[in-house]
Amino acid sequence: MTTKSTGYETEPSGSRPGASTKPQTAPGFLYAALRVFDLSLGQMLWSRRTIFMLLVVGVPVIMALIIRFIDAMSGSTMQVNGVVMDGPAIFGMMIWMFFLRFSVPVLSIFYGTALIADEVEDKTITFLFTRPIPRGAVLVGKYLAFLMSTLIVVLPSVMIVWLLIVPMRGSLGTSFIDLVKDLLILATGFAVYGAFFAWVGARFKRPLMIALFFVFAWENAAMLFPGYMRRFTIAHYLQGLVPHAMPSDSAVSLLQSVFQEIPTLGTSIAGLAIIWAVFLWLAARIVERKEYVLEQ
Amino acid sequence: MTKNTRYLALGSTAILVFGLCTGLVAYYGGIPSLTASHAGPAELEFVPADASIVAFADVRDVMNSELRQKLRQVLPGDQQKREELQRLTGIDIERDIDRVVAAVGVDGEQSTVAFLSGRFNPTQIEALALQHGGQVVEYGGKRLIRGVKEAGDGRHEVAPALAFIEGNVLAIGAEPAVRKAIDARASGQNITANTELMKIIGTVSTGNNVWAVGRMDSFVNRMPQEISSRMPPIEWFAATGRVNGGIHASLRAEARDDQAAENLRDVVKGGLALVKMQSGDPKFAALANSIRLEGSGKTVSVSFSIPAEMIDLLIKSGPAGLIHD
Repeated sequence: MTTKSTGYETEPSGSRPGASTKPQTAPGFLYAALRVFDLSLGQMLWSRRTIFMLLVVGVPVIMALIIRFIDAMSGSTMQVNGVVMDGPAIFGMMIWMFFLRFSVPVLSIFYGTALIADEVEDKTITFLFTRPIPRGAVLVGKYLAFLMSTLIVVLPSVMIVWLLIVPMRGSLGTSFIDLVKDLLILATGFAVYGAFFAWVGARFKRPLMIALFFVFAWENAAMLFPGYMRRFTIAHYLQGLVPHAMPSDSAVSLLQSVFQEIPTLGTSIAGLAIIWAVFLWLAARIVERKEYVLEQ
Repeated sequence: MTKNTRYLALGSTAILVFGLCTGLVAYYGGIPSLTASHAGPAELEFVPADASIVAFADVRDVMNSELRQKLRQVLPGDQQKREELQRLTGIDIERDIDRVVAAVGVDGEQSTVAFLSGRFNPTQIEALALQHGGQVVEYGGKRLIRGVKEAGDGRHEVAPALAFIEGNVLAIGAEPAVRKAIDARASGQNITANTELMKIIGTVSTGNNVWAVGRMDSFVNRMPQEISSRMPPIEWFAATGRVNGGIHASLRAEARDDQAAENLRDVVKGGLALVKMQSGDPKFAALANSIRLEGSGKTVSVSFSIPAEMIDLLIKSGPAGLIHD
């Protein structure tokens, strides 16, 4: 990793004979976090992980192009399992299947758990921790970089899919409000899942396995049954905000839709805000206190 | 931030801003081609502006459909009625009628009118109406035929009126409604000016050969108080159907607000789950599984499909009376 100015530089002693030495103060938490964000954004965007992210968000765009092409060529209506679907319905289904159920949790896992783990693995965390900045700011800065890098890749993909799909027997105007809600929900999803997985990455030794288990086993299982267990998932609060009906494309999702207990808007927002704040704070706290031992 | 990162961020922002601006303009009706304000059949130009329900059927498409061909083979009685109608009016339903657009206004029956587009013989139809006691009056430069039918006790009742609004468009319905249609054509004050209704028509008119859209209050106002008070707060409905080898139909409702739509979705979801759990008969399991609940925001949509294979099954094995042995 390349080091960069953190805004805290000491003047070489004796460089200006006779000049009084300025008192040196460490930069504030926010300033330090923004410097780390600036440093990390480029690294995240131009890393090998971005290829995976482009694949994840590129598939829906390619599918949208294919659907649009087939629609234009055949002139007939699009059918899913023998059911004719218009553009807004197809878009709603793609938001559920490609973005909410897959892209948001998966990208959050791969980036969120790696915020600190990558630095430990590459043995470059020392460079960051030897800087006179709060350790928690390193995590927060990297978290902000993760958020920015996922949003600037995923949201345009959603927008392109919307522009391609919705005009098929649908109206851009009537589905515009839903699009704005979708974009906000996806951004919220990245923020909350990212905060949670940042904590997982900072707290556990094998964060990837735990994160994958959380998303694909725990959340699915908890959402499958009626009761209070679903309140211990992020999906429960996030899916409650989605303006599109949940597609019943499999036995699991059919059961989920049957037992779906939609929290109120206030509950969803409060739940997500609490999860976000608590886990981001916990993650920063762990990074502040944990003694990282680099394996030789 | 490096130059490449800055370019990527700018490109991403540009796509987002472009999409959001396009959506915003479409939302406020600024892009006619995207808001489908000119959607629907040309006959909508004759539909009075205050119509609350509009229905459409692409008769030619339905008549040419695979389903219709199958039904023709098992319903020979249909052929006799068709020939009788053709003898009297010169109209062959299978070939001469292309489309039908019907509209119901706020006055219910008195504001109901249908527009038949196709190939007609006005002279023969007018002669037939006069032969049955009809009267011809001039209205708005059109020949309006007022129908009169005999009641059982020797009195005469007013029957539907008809007029050729265009050479190939026959308006038929209650006399005030037909007059209003003639006025609508002359003044240009028609349903296409109703942007709210046209937006909904725009979403149903492509890909379906049968559809109907309307304001729910038109129905609710005519229902008994006990029933209307229990109806969910629905503002608009849109029913669509596509008839080809099989049938695909959908019913979409637009509730008053998101919460009302959510409640309605919950009710429908419960009902559908019950139907799916009880469809033990494999013949109907496919039909039950095809029932799909969709919708977002204020919209609730239920659709189902009867595949061609199931139609064949119904024709071969029942229901009773479909096949004349």
